[in-house]
Amino acid sequence: MIGWRPGRDRSREFEEVALVHLDALYRSALRLTRNRAEAEDVVQDTCLRAFRSFHRFNPGTNCRAWLFTILRNTFLNRVRGAGRELYEGDAGSAWDALVERASDRAGGGATPEEQFLETALHGDVDRALRALPLAFREPIVLVDLEGLSYREAAEVLGCPVGTVMSRLSRGRRLLRRALGDFAREHGYVGEPE
Amino acid sequence: MNCDTFLACMHPYVDGELGVSDTVAADTHAAECPRCRSVTARERAFRQLLRSQPRETAPPELRRRIVTRIRRSSRAAALRPWLALPAAAAVAALLAVTLLPLTERPARGVVAELVDKHIAFAQLERPAEFVSADRRAVGAWFLERAGLSVSVPDYSPAGIRLVGARIADVRGRRAAYILYEKGRTLLSVFVAPASGEGDLVGARVTYRGQVYVTRVQKGYRTVAWTEGGVVFGLVSMLDDEALLECADRLRDERARQTRL
Ligand SMILES: [Zn+2]
Repeated sequence: MIGWRPGRDRSREFEEVALVHLDALYRSALRLTRNRAEAEDVVQDTCLRAFRSFHRFNPGTNCRAWLFTILRNTFLNRVRGAGRELYEGDAGSAWDALVERASDRAGGGATPEEQFLETALHGDVDRALRALPLAFREPIVLVDLEGLSYREAAEVLGCPVGTVMSRLSRGRRLLRRALGDFAREHGYVGEPE
Repeated sequence: MNCDTFLACMHPYVDGELGVSDTVAADTHAAECPRCRSVTARERAFRQLLRSQPRETAPPELRRRIVTRIRRSSRAAALRPWLALPAAAAVAALLAVTLLPLTERPARGVVAELVDKHIAFAQLERPAEFVSADRRAVGAWFLERAGLSVSVPDYSPAGIRLVGARIADVRGRRAAYILYEKGRTLLSVFVAPASGEGDLVGARVTYRGQVYVTRVQKGYRTVAWTEGGVVFGLVSMLDDEALLECADRLRDERARQTRL
């Protein structure tokens, strides 16, 4: 009563269904780890783990979200294993204060920061993103950079859609502010009034 | 919709994540309110900036390494099909482990009695007296309830979920009974007292260097062995290979605990 797919078919099916997302996994791993060597390790672990549990993947469902979930767990396990701090500033009041200030600015007309954003260099965005606390970086990577829906991101992050929504908007504000700071530091725009 | 409610839902609005009626309401407000319209435009521009980030690709060397590893482990899995059970196989497993002290010679084979127990428990509304998917909690429960030190193996890689445990009554003695399930079909595994050589009747099978006795009874397959004055018996509808793999893991688990 139990059958299984022959090994060769399983790996071929995995390559066709899952490994087409390898680039997306690698990009996200880069953003999470902020380190190329570590990103490669995380992606490799993710793929091998995904392959081992591929029989549990339901072919009708979203493979990319499933892979991102495994990627995230792999990454978090490594971080925990290394005793590194996780979700730095997630609940931190310092970040909340920063968010408040950032949102204060979000209101008015186009500021020099916003004008700068129009012409921001990719490297700057990358740098600002790397500085963002993980809790805010994750939804931005998934939704803004990889184009997942809120529901998919919630599935990956294991949290309610409302949490994705609030972290995303807070994260974007933080990111804009960081880019604005960068612009001022480098003299692209003047000090805020 | 006013400015506050608009700004509260501006991000999902920009992301196209609002429902139809909210989207219409937000569209309407944005059309009427220059301030919210400009905030939205800037948010869209920012998102565009994020989306236009260069899209790196995985290094070819990484891809090659992963494909090689997967093909290799795929060949290994073909040799160990138990690890490659497809989700489609709607097989539920009820795994019962009964641990008994040495006792008097049984009137009939202990495995036969354990098969009966398995069938009886499977018909209960709650086969598990103590419901938990936590192996450590199940082990602690046995120790506390009956003073039994029981190894609770992890079968989750094969999609077999730990359901819970029960103190069973086998031949008037207290026994430990662990339940697992896979889908909806039930499978039982038993461990019983080594009361005599006649306990285990069936075909002798060697699997990964260990000897087991297998037989089919009332439509259930059983795999059993004796160890340290205890008989371990697995009863299920799964095939022999699956049962033997479960047995092997249980032995592994016990060996690991003994070493600790
Ligand atoms: Zn408005």
